[in-house]
Order: sequence, then structure tokens, then C-alpha cells
Amino acid sequence: MAAAVAPAVRCSLLQRRPLRCGPGVRAVPGAGAALRPCSSRVAQDGINKPVIDRIIRVDHAGEYGANRIYAGQMAVLGRSSVGPVIQQMWNQEKNHLKKFNELMVAYRVRPTVLLPFWNVAGFVLGAGSALLGKKGAMACTVAVEESISEHYNNQIRTLIEEDPEKYKELLQVIKQFRDEEQEHHDIGLEHDAEATPAYSVLKTAIQLGCKAAIFLSERI
Amino acid sequence: MAAAGGLRRAGWRLWWARRAVLRCQQYPPLRALQASAALRAASDEHKKEPWASSSQQHFESPPAGHQPEEKPQGPHHSYTGQGGQESEDYESEEQLQHRILTAALEFVPEHGWTAEAIAEGAKTLGLSVAAAGLFHSDGSELILHFVSECNTKLSELLKKEQKLVQLGEAEKKPIDEFLRDAVEARLRMLIPYIEKWPQALSVLLLPRNIPSSLNLLTSMIDDIWHYAGDQSTDFNWYTRRAVLTAIYNTTELVMMQDSSPGLEDTWRFLENRVADAMTMSNTATQVQSTGEAVVQGLMGAAVTIKNLAGLNQRR
Repeated sequence: MAAAVAPAVRCSLLQRRPLRCGPGVRAVPGAGAALRPCSSRVAQDGINKPVIDRIIRVDHAGEYGANRIYAGQMAVLGRSSVGPVIQQMWNQEKNHLKKFNELMVAYRVRPTVLLPFWNVAGFVLGAGSALLGKKGAMACTVAVEESISEHYNNQIRTLIEEDPEKYKELLQVIKQFRDEEQEHHDIGLEHDAEATPAYSVLKTAIQLGCKAAIFLSERI
Repeated sequence: MAAAGGLRRAGWRLWWARRAVLRCQQYPPLRALQASAALRAASDEHKKEPWASSSQQHFESPPAGHQPEEKPQGPHHSYTGQGGQESEDYESEEQLQHRILTAALEFVPEHGWTAEAIAEGAKTLGLSVAAAGLFHSDGSELILHFVSECNTKLSELLKKEQKLVQLGEAEKKPIDEFLRDAVEARLRMLIPYIEKWPQALSVLLLPRNIPSSLNLLTSMIDDIWHYAGDQSTDFNWYTRRAVLTAIYNTTELVMMQDSSPGLEDTWRFLENRVADAMTMSNTATQVQSTGEAVVQGLMGAAVTIKNLAGLNQRR
């Protein structure tokens, strides 16, 4: 009884972080070098800023959305048998988001304008797929994680084409996250994702949505 | 797959190159030489650092955004550092324009943001007054040059302050004080030109100049927030910048009409607006947490009712 009265799953994700006035966390080694007139936004020397901007912006949006999807799934399936599995994946996603928050500040990247929309859309997708049952939720996980790891692979290719030495840190982060997303994908398959009714339709639809989301988040 | 990535990148570059060309076409009064120089520069950049030209653009701003702002660029540390042979004459032309515009600033209080001021500036450099023909007759380049110089000065100032704080030689300012001081420092740079500033504002608001002036404004605001230690990565990022932009612009308008000694009214207005913004953000936080508490309470009540009705059997 007492446990049931306890409020449902909380989404601690939306907590605003206090505005800290500490010493800038900016990762700029060459301080006085190459200061452009209209801003000091030139970060590390020779870095391909627009490419990095897009990568960090879209990845941040993606991890944010993934968090919301798992939050939606947990709101529905939190106390079912797959609850712990989803919670474990969600925890990893929280770490990913934290890392991209840090990178975003360090590289002075603008977050995407669509964050409030991804907030709602992610939760609705997660809760909606979970309402189709445990298998439905897993099918959603498989579809999303597959798109995300493919997307990470594309970014790794881009960065390696650019200069693997210069973007070592970022590459390492993305590679690690790619592997973890791949794990989630496999966990989903282990939990009979493919046994969902209309699995291929569901998967195609979700993946189309992911592609559109990636396209938009890179740009605006 | 790697080849596909390469293709996509090549496509992007092509697109950028096209934008560069379009940009030049939008400025018919520019001399052909200038246009070709810009083109050449664009292709140079594509060879070396394809994105450098847009590196300060936070928004994917329209193409016209960047041509006038590029011209008044300061001493090109980065370019001269690279020492490209083929870009040498292009550099010197840029630097010449930069020198002329800097010299012209001195004559702005007298002649306004006009071709005359530029001509006078050119004269002090021992150049023909015809050098004014290098620029638009409405003085937009001169104004944009001035704005970007001020922005640079401001960000250097803030960087210096930040270094002092990091070294422990200065106290860290509370956020409201920091914002107020930064905006005040920036507005004080306008004081020598205050008489002619309304004219400049009207030129900056011409549709043709809006992309570049907006770009300069947003990058200045972003610099202030950056040095204020802003760490937001959610939608706050936008609200903070919007609020500060509003504060800056309204204070600027107040400043132009202020006749009090030492512009006291302006600084009081600024202080009040910053205080308002701080109250607003506190209120927003409170409303949000209250809302969350109410939702939690309602959910709890719903679950209790469900339990009482015996509907909440676990499966």
C-alpha cells in the first residue's frame, strides 16, 4: 500500500541546473591567438567548428530525446518485470547526456531550438510504445538504438576523415557511446522485440522519425 | 561508406561556395576587384579551413550576413600566421579598409556615419579622399566596423576579468552585477558617438544590414553570457540570451534620450532591468517547482483512490 501511494516515476531529468559563475570551463589552450573581431568564439586552433557544432548539437538532442523515451517507458512499465532492464539502460543514457552537456559548454555549442519538442515527443514515443506492451517498448528501443548507433558511426567516419588526432577525445566518447547504444539494441532483441505485432512497420516508422529528428536537430 | 561521407562533404562545400558567390551578387555596388577578392578568399578558405568563414556564425544566418562584417576585420593574426602566398594582396586590401575605417571613426562626431567621415579618415592616412568610394555611401561598413571593434574590446575586457578571477586576484562578481557591468561597459563605448548613434541605429536596421548587425549583436550577447559562466544546455540558453538582448537594446534606447549628468538615469534603468530579470528567473523557478509539487500530489491522490477502489492489482 505504502509503496503504491508513493508517487510514480519521477523524471529528474528536467531539473534546471543552477547558474554557476565559476571560472570558465572553456577548453581553449591558445588564449590570445586568433581573436576575431566579432566574437571570441574561435575555440581550439584549427578545429572545424561548424562540423563539431553540428555533431555536439545533434548528439545532445539525441541523448536528450533518448532520455525522454526511457522516462516514458518507465512511467508505464516501471513496475513490471522489464522495469530494471529499462532503468539500467536509462541510467547509461543519463550519463551520455551529462557528457554531452559538458562538451556543449566546453565547445560553446548552441543547443537545438527543438529541445522542448523532443521533450514531449520523446516521452510520448516512450509511453506510447510501452502501452503496446513490453515487446512494443523493446521494439521501440531496438529501432531507436539502431538509428542512433548508425548515426554515431557516420559521425565517427566524418571525424576520422577530418583528422583523427585532433578529435581524439570526441572520437573516444562517441565510440564508447556507440558501443553502449549497440548493447541496448541487443538487449531489446533479447527481450523478444521482434515478436511485436507489426514489428517491421513500427520499426520503419520510428526510424523515419529518428532520421527526421537528426536532420532537424543538426540544423536548427 | 567513407566515399559517401566524402561526397556529402564535397556537396556541402559546393553549397558554401555557391553561398559565397550569391553573397557577392547581392552587393552590386562593390567593386569588381573586391568581389573577386572575396571569391578568391572564399576558395582559399575552402582549401585550408573550409568553415572558417562561418565560424562565428551561431545561427545559420542568411548569406548576406557576413560579407560586410568580414571586411572590417581586424589585423588578421590567424591568416598572417598561416602565411599563404596567394592571399597576400587580398589581406592588404582588407587591412587597408580596416585602417581607413579606424581612422574615420575619429571624424564621426563631426560628420556622422558618412562618406565624408571616411574621406577625412583616408586623408589622415595620406590617401586620396576617393578611398571613400571603397565603401557604401550609407556608411554601413563604418558602423559595422565600429560595432565589431567594440565587441572585440568588450570580450577582451571580460576575458581579462575572468583571468583575474581565475588567478584569485579579484572577487567573483554575482551574476546580476556581472551582467550590469558588462552591458554598461559596452554602452559606455558609444558615449563619444552618442549624438550620431541614432543615425547609426537606423542604418543598422536597414533590411540589408540586419543579418550582419544581428549576428554582431548575438555574438556579443553570447560572449557576455559565456564569461558570466553560463552553463545552460537546455532552452534556458535561448531565454537567457533573449532577456539580455532585450535589456541591452532597451537600455541603448534610453541612453540616447538621456540628458541627465553622467547618464545616471541610464545606469539606474539598466540596474532596474537586470534586477527585474533576476526576479523573473527566480519566479519562474518557483512556479516550476510549485507546478511539479502539485502534479506529484495529484498523481499520489490518483494512486490512492485507485488503491482504495481495489483497481491497482499488480500483474
